[in-house]
Amino acid sequence: MREMTEFLGREYEEMEKQGLTWVIKSLNGPSQPHVEVEGKKCIMLASNNYLNLANHPKLREAAIKAIEKYGAGAGSDWSIAGTMDIHMELYKKIAEFKGTEDAVTFQTGFAANAGLIPQLAGKGDLLISDELNHGSIIDGVRLSKAERAVYPHSDMGALEKVLEEANKKDYRRVIILTDGVFSMDGDIAKMDEIHKLAEEYRAMIYVDDAHGEGVLGDGHGIGRHFDLEKEIHFQIGTFSKAFGSFGGMLAGSSDLIKFAYNKSRTWLLSAAFPPHVAAANIAALEVVEKEKDRVKRLWDNTKYFKKEIESLGYDTGNSQTPIVPTIVGDSKKAKQLAEKLYEEGIFALAIVYPMVARDKARIRNQMNADFNREDLDTILNVYEKLGKELKIV
Amino acid sequence: MILTVGFIVNPIAGMGGRVGLKGTDNVVEEAKRKGAKPVSPFKAREAIKEYVEKYNDDIRWVTCSGIMGENILRENGIKSVEVIYNVTSRDTSAKDTKNACKLFVEYPVDLIVFCGGDGTARDITSIVGTRIPILGIPSGVKMHSGVFAINPRIAARVIHEFANHKLTVGDVEIMDLDEEKYRQGEWNIKLFGIAKGIVEPIYVQVGKMSFESIPEDDIKDELAEYIEDEMKDNPEYVYFFGSGSTIDYIARKLGLSNTLLGIDAVYRGKTIAQDLDEKGILDILDRYPKAKLILSPIGAQGFILGRGNLQISPKVIRKIGIDNIIVVATPSKLAATPLIRIDTGDKEIDKLFAMKEQMLVIIGYRLMRVVKIQTNNI
Ligand SMILES: Cc1ncc(COP(=O)(O)O)c(C=O)c1O
Repeated sequence: MREMTEFLGREYEEMEKQGLTWVIKSLNGPSQPHVEVEGKKCIMLASNNYLNLANHPKLREAAIKAIEKYGAGAGSDWSIAGTMDIHMELYKKIAEFKGTEDAVTFQTGFAANAGLIPQLAGKGDLLISDELNHGSIIDGVRLSKAERAVYPHSDMGALEKVLEEANKKDYRRVIILTDGVFSMDGDIAKMDEIHKLAEEYRAMIYVDDAHGEGVLGDGHGIGRHFDLEKEIHFQIGTFSKAFGSFGGMLAGSSDLIKFAYNKSRTWLLSAAFPPHVAAANIAALEVVEKEKDRVKRLWDNTKYFKKEIESLGYDTGNSQTPIVPTIVGDSKKAKQLAEKLYEEGIFALAIVYPMVARDKARIRNQMNADFNREDLDTILNVYEKLGKELKIV
Repeated sequence: MILTVGFIVNPIAGMGGRVGLKGTDNVVEEAKRKGAKPVSPFKAREAIKEYVEKYNDDIRWVTCSGIMGENILRENGIKSVEVIYNVTSRDTSAKDTKNACKLFVEYPVDLIVFCGGDGTARDITSIVGTRIPILGIPSGVKMHSGVFAINPRIAARVIHEFANHKLTVGDVEIMDLDEEKYRQGEWNIKLFGIAKGIVEPIYVQVGKMSFESIPEDDIKDELAEYIEDEMKDNPEYVYFFGSGSTIDYIARKLGLSNTLLGIDAVYRGKTIAQDLDEKGILDILDRYPKAKLILSPIGAQGFILGRGNLQISPKVIRKIGIDNIIVVATPSKLAATPLIRIDTGDKEIDKLFAMKEQMLVIIGYRLMRVVKIQTNNI
């Protein structure tokens, strides 16, 4: 017999049995270093709000003013009647900030990847993707009719092997896609080497810098960090992380942006984000440029935390950025540690199998520019205590 | 639901190894005379002890009397043991294994855990086929089949994870060495058949942190679709379909009659020859100079050449050309062996592969992955 909605409950139960379901904890106020989670006061170690801009007075003020001037919604798709002058102002600002000819925004970073990648490559093309790329890149790649090759994480030998094999066939286009900063390990893509290989084998480069913006290259991202702002063909980003706001972006040549305007289905068939989001985004870029000290504080905190947590005996893997994982072993232990951290007033996320290898389950600690020494020492003391209790260190 | 496990120990498995007999099939007496001591009871004990100490889920054990299972379960304090097969002779044989398996099928158990080597796996598969999943506690001299855990302790963990739905069931190959030939110095590992083994589920990411496991057959369907496109795009090529479970599935999906253990040739969407030997392949290559060879890792160690398909001789490989070899694999196979192994018996060819270092393996529809190559002769 044909089934009806029973499958919903059944499949949920199956996932629950396998321990794969996700429990949502909600915040009772703004996202900032000290938060209230379901009534409990916590230090926030799980947010992408690296520069603590999410509740920054300048962003709030800009958003409120924009609501007063433009109202709450954009009223239409970007392509039809939803683009306001404040959106255009934002595009210009992004291009300046990223050092590219032009830029455009998308509803989210996810929408940028899902809408753009399938248009960049089709039948007869090859998309080459790092195995740890974000799910939105994977989905964008899946939507394309191109062939797809996955290489082991940051393995440049393997990437070269794919490029070599690609030369034996006559692909029309070849694009290498990578995260700028990998969100589970906090390591940086080897953009200098990728760039060299891309030049040598005539491939294009597509970077999603969601976790690199506001963090690398004085806050300008991976392009500035490697001095490759003009060489990276497709630069994707998001305002939802260090920039403390919301919305995806694409920066590159003006040809690319015109192409995106007319081809990206997520851009063409979905509404523009509200004007106050554009205003907050403009403010975010201004704050990053003006308050130079913010990025520096983020890195100071990162260096201090990384050094101290390692000296406690924790393994931070390949971390090179404010994402500093503590790798503790099996999934059960990581979940246990996350629960205990929460009991101690630290909100942190356990990353477990199959997101990472079975023996590499971890807590993903994300630093914040506005943690003070006392916050960091509180976190470290709890880690020291729990590490001994759970026999991790 | 409580898991019912059929437990069977082949008490003589692994005895030949220590006394240089390379297997115990048909030479038990000789092994004993040479002073061989039982191995498998120790391995089985190690696995069960670990299981009881570390996991001890609520499992119903069904087994054979005495040394073929019961003793080891009881001495580790397992209460829920039901003996359904009585060993009558002191010298157990393949017949006992097979008879016990018939009863396991009738019962029916959810999983058969056995302690032995490739020979035992072959005996069990000859009775249960793909009806019941099989897990091997390694103890034999040879363990090329895909049903074995890496060691007895891991076997314990696999039982636990299977009981708790963390692992799933998938196709694996049962391999066997021709022991007669081997003792005469000839190395010929044959593919015996397909069994159900316990494998890593294939996960796809749903949310950032949430995953869903998808059936292995969905991936094989994608592989089939890819091969179908590949053949359509290159109508001038003849395609040789290798052996093993993955390729067998693909061929059947494409409506081709295929031999599981053999090499078949397909041209313009039709099978033109089946179960070819070396000469048969070479004859076809004379008639159709453009050819591609579709291979998939067979058995436990990830071999695509040199195990279970000796028909694909060095001469055949040279004629086809190594760039015309298409390797397909499911993610669960690659999870078990993240390497592609090659042992053609021809130093030069092995070296060509070794120099490649890595190859692109098809793992889904239009989806490839870079995988390291390991050759034996370098
Ligand atoms: C690399 C990468 N791309 C895209 C996204 C999604 O960004 P957004 O929240 O704007 O959809 C994320 C965040 O999870 C990410 O890490």
